[in-house]
Amino acid sequence: MPTRLSTIQRYGLAVISVALALAAALGLAHFHFRGGGIPLFLFAVAITAWYGGGRAAVLAVLLSCVSFDYFFIEPLYTLFIAPSELPYFILFGLFAALVTWFSAVRRRVEQDLRQSRDELEREVAVRTQQASLLDLTHDTIFVSDMDDVITFWNRGAQELYGWTAEEAVGKRAHELLHTVFPAPAEEILAELLRTGRWDGELEKTKADGTRVVVSSRWSLRRDEQGRPAAVLATNNDITEQRQREQQIRALNEDLSNRSAELEASNKELEAFAYSISHDLRAPLRHMVGYTELLQKNILSTLDEKSRRYMATILEAAKKMGTLIDDLLAFSRIGRAETRETAINIEQLVKEVLSEVQQETDRRKIAWKLSPLPEVYGDRSMLKLALVNLISNAVKFTRTRSRPEIEIGCVENKKNRTVMFVKDNGVGFDMKYVNKLFGVFQRLHPTEAFEGTGIGLATVQRIIHRHGGRVWAESAVDKGATFYLSVPTYRS
Amino acid sequence: MDVLGRILLVEDDPRDVELTLTALEEYNLTNEVVVAHDGEEALDYLYYRGKFESRTNQNPAVLLLDLKLPKVDGLEVLEKIKSDDELKMIPVVVLTSSREERDMVASYKLGVNAYVVKPVDFHEFVNAIKELGVFWAIINEPPPGSVRKK
Repeated sequence: MPTRLSTIQRYGLAVISVALALAAALGLAHFHFRGGGIPLFLFAVAITAWYGGGRAAVLAVLLSCVSFDYFFIEPLYTLFIAPSELPYFILFGLFAALVTWFSAVRRRVEQDLRQSRDELEREVAVRTQQASLLDLTHDTIFVSDMDDVITFWNRGAQELYGWTAEEAVGKRAHELLHTVFPAPAEEILAELLRTGRWDGELEKTKADGTRVVVSSRWSLRRDEQGRPAAVLATNNDITEQRQREQQIRALNEDLSNRSAELEASNKELEAFAYSISHDLRAPLRHMVGYTELLQKNILSTLDEKSRRYMATILEAAKKMGTLIDDLLAFSRIGRAETRETAINIEQLVKEVLSEVQQETDRRKIAWKLSPLPEVYGDRSMLKLALVNLISNAVKFTRTRSRPEIEIGCVENKKNRTVMFVKDNGVGFDMKYVNKLFGVFQRLHPTEAFEGTGIGLATVQRIIHRHGGRVWAESAVDKGATFYLSVPTYRS
Repeated sequence: MDVLGRILLVEDDPRDVELTLTALEEYNLTNEVVVAHDGEEALDYLYYRGKFESRTNQNPAVLLLDLKLPKVDGLEVLEKIKSDDELKMIPVVVLTSSREERDMVASYKLGVNAYVVKPVDFHEFVNAIKELGVFWAIINEPPPGSVRKK
């Protein structure tokens, strides 16, 4: 490529090359070589046109014409041109013009080339930048051609698979990574060619031999003619995700096994309760029945002690009957389906009171009933809970000369209500409060206050089934307050 | 006492039979009580089979039916009776130890006329039996074709 010259240098080049051609031509003439002038001047013009450009070439042509006319055309050493010499000059001029034109064309070609080279360089720069951006991401990206030979391998690919770009590029991707396809490879390829994309899960092997499960997305690149050219694959490691899913599946299976076991044991329990209900009460009934018959037959012949023995047998059998009934009711709460509706709890409390008051009509109890909100739950279950709590209040105020029982509500929030049953009865020691709601737990001797020890356990079970809570506050001889929280609308 | 309907007592436990009969005896209701000791015997009676082949061709005024019975249980007997056009008019009272809801629901679904839980207390038991006997064998007008004793 010729070096770029300044304007002066270019015209100087014209002058110097013509001068050198003239000197050479004069030298040749001196040694009587004929016809050497014109080629030498043409050579000078060509040199000038090549290195100095079109305008310098025009100057070289003019200078060559003048020099040639002055030194070689008769009459010598004048600028006179005979008409017969004119074709020489025209021919020379044309020739020189041709040389200059060639030179100009060449220059243009050269310029075009330079321009396209610059464009190419820019594009290379952009592509290089893009490639380095792809390299930046931690996502695994690689490109392979239609023969599955890797042509690009980013940093993410290196991080995931453990092969460097140098190791991976040029290798067949599926051989390098021992890819296991979920479907025949031909089908996947067919889909890729048809739709231009494919995604799915693949199993691959890392450089260190460990297996990974990847979520893979393929995009097909086509060349300008529309022919498939390359496949860009983006892979995400989902091995852990798959493992977690498997764990969750295993846990779920375990859970459903356990719930089946639970259901089976529940069924067993139900069968057990059913059998108790049928079979355990019959012998008791017989004991009581025959004892009563015996008593009737021989009562007149019995002494005081024997009568007491008989009465005790009857009492014990009846107590066992109550115990069985209470236990069955308690177990029924756990087994029965709840039928939840909106309940006017105030009305329910009044219903319970009228039932309980029938048994306490001889006692003067000061009842205090505050307004109660509507709650949401199983009516018969909540009624059973209230019967238990209110009966307890009645029972444990028996020793009071002025028994007082208050039923009200301390908290009425949007989703739950806390109501209470308060009495001024014998109360209990708070250090036993954790035993209060246990089955068969009693804090008072049976001689003082009768009972099976199932009532409060039943209350707690009912309230728990309603998603609520039951608790109590008391002090010995200071009365007791039982609180229960119940939902106010369907959860 | 004007007329007395025949009572078919279906009960497998001899002690329960004795106690029930004792209770009925106290009110002179026993002379028209037939006892079947299991469900099959009860059906034999109703269909004139086996040892009841030659009985008089009239239906009992009421059937006192225990649920837990050998061979054919009470609910099966009840189902059989209530699905038979000839028998379904016979009033059936379930008399059982069970207070289980599923027994009650099943009995009422099959069309039982009453469901009575045998009380543990003997006095209550006697009372219950007496009232049953008086109501079904005396007060209630049985369907046509039942045995009644002047």
